[in-house]
Amino acid sequence: MASDALDVSTQATAREAAPWLSRGRKDSIVTWLGMIFFLVIALFPIVVMAITSFKQGSDIIDVQTPPLWFHRLPTFSHYVYLFEQTKFLTWAWNTIVISFFTVVITLILAVPAAYALARLHFPNAENFGIGIFLTYLVPPALLFLPLTIILSRYVNLIDTKWALVVVYPTFTTPFCVWLLMGFFKTIPVEVEEAARVDGCSRLQAILRVVLPLSVPGLLTVAIFAFTLGMQEYIYALTFISNSLEKPVTIGVTSDLIRGDEYFWGELMAGALLAGIPVAILYNFFLDHFVEGISQGAIK
Amino acid sequence: MSLTRTPAAVEAVAAAPPREAGRLRRFVRGEAAFGYLLMAPVLIYLGLLLFYPLLLSIWFSLTDASTGQPFASWVGLKNFTDLWSNETFRLALRNSFIFTFGSEIGKAILGTALGFLLLRRFRGKRVLRALLVLPWTVPVALTTLGWLLLYDPTFSMLNRTTGAIGFPYHPNWLGEPVPAMIAIMVANIWRGFPFSAIILIAGMTSIPADILESAALDGAGFLRRFHYVIVPMIAPILFVGLLFDLVFSFTDLSVVYLLTKGGPENTTHILPELAYQNGIQGGDLAQGAAISLFMLPVFVIACVIMLRILRRREI
Repeated sequence: MASDALDVSTQATAREAAPWLSRGRKDSIVTWLGMIFFLVIALFPIVVMAITSFKQGSDIIDVQTPPLWFHRLPTFSHYVYLFEQTKFLTWAWNTIVISFFTVVITLILAVPAAYALARLHFPNAENFGIGIFLTYLVPPALLFLPLTIILSRYVNLIDTKWALVVVYPTFTTPFCVWLLMGFFKTIPVEVEEAARVDGCSRLQAILRVVLPLSVPGLLTVAIFAFTLGMQEYIYALTFISNSLEKPVTIGVTSDLIRGDEYFWGELMAGALLAGIPVAILYNFFLDHFVEGISQGAIK
Repeated sequence: MSLTRTPAAVEAVAAAPPREAGRLRRFVRGEAAFGYLLMAPVLIYLGLLLFYPLLLSIWFSLTDASTGQPFASWVGLKNFTDLWSNETFRLALRNSFIFTFGSEIGKAILGTALGFLLLRRFRGKRVLRALLVLPWTVPVALTTLGWLLLYDPTFSMLNRTTGAIGFPYHPNWLGEPVPAMIAIMVANIWRGFPFSAIILIAGMTSIPADILESAALDGAGFLRRFHYVIVPMIAPILFVGLLFDLVFSFTDLSVVYLLTKGGPENTTHILPELAYQNGIQGGDLAQGAAISLFMLPVFVIACVIMLRILRRREI
């Protein structure tokens, strides 16, 4: 019986318990070979981008030398050019503004809905929940044409960053409702009931007890909506042509490519400078993303 | 009072003062109203900016709308029949499926391998994981610029690097039809394989250890545990992840738009990118809408399957 129980404990502990050392070593060799293989695949394009962004222009276009290292002194000139000669800072600021207001709207829409779905009993609650989850599947590619017309004819927001602020919550809200629902369900009902016994109204109980307890959840959702806003491409490409209103993804990809002329150094510098902060932020969210997905599928 | 009631129910009703029962009913009614009130903002918002545009799109596709004249006259299914006889469109439709399924297979293979590697325990895992998911976490539009440089006909970092290690195949990646298809799929696989790994990890870590333990105590061998416990438990998660990924791959235009814009000679168009080029850049709103609606069946099928998974978990 005891050996049986050991056998089913997780793989890792089984490995640790195994007296057969050579097997453990073999395992770790496999792990590291695999890691190196995937690191090369994952990082090769990014390393190429990074090296190129620090190369002198003449070094970039010199096709006679091996491309993966410097043959003239590294330079910051592309980064300097980006800040001084392009609207990079404006684009970066636009991205921050757009993502910030996307988060605000997402929270305003998602928090009440998630609370209702997690706590309240009302007809069709289940169907609403599933319906909202499904809207996460509606692809922007189906919506960008009609939304262009709506944003230019019904409200005059086209070609401003506010067009994106209005539209981005369509793809952030559904998943956020779903995630927050999970967070609210982990808060014991008793806590809320106790507050109501103490004389709080339902709304007061939510504001004073439930929300403070779900700060980690709210933060996760905010980070998620923020990074999605920073990553978006299709709507920004479709709605914005005024260079001063562009978020950074569109500014870098369209304004730094003029016709057939590519400013490789500036392009790579801009892409990394805008991309790495998003990646760092996203990383905070990753574990919760895993939870959200599994919760949607099984719980 | 009806005779069919059980004594317990009779007692309960008798015990509760009538005022109490009324309050209960009011409370339930109030809860429902409160629930709908809290749901209202999100439902109105999604109705206006999600369902209404969807309907508008269907309407546009049945008219001869242009971006300059969006509310135009009814032409029936003409846009769809025109598209069906259009060589470029049919190629784009075919490419969309090749692009999506080709990418999905690549992502599944790399993602599964990476997922199982990341499930192991080793030092420095958090840092390594952060590096390995970079293709997924850096915005796709920006990393695609890196691929543009890798594939560039003159400065192709890819050909120069593979040339240096003696690899013999050096096509003009974005300038010839078949290499261009491969090129956009490789960039898309690279972009998405960490996500497949994340989904796999989500599936594997969602199996509670005590369930496996009790299955083993009941005498289930590894194969039986794998078949009856592990597979049914992770399958829904993998499936949900796969569906999301399929829909995203099928409807994302950034990789193709940035790398080839459908070229060379219209051989690498995919549906979302063609809808953008015709609908926005060409101003043919009706045709653009019709092209994007060809993606609707894929979305609907994904929804139906998803719905079945979500319903099943309730039972």
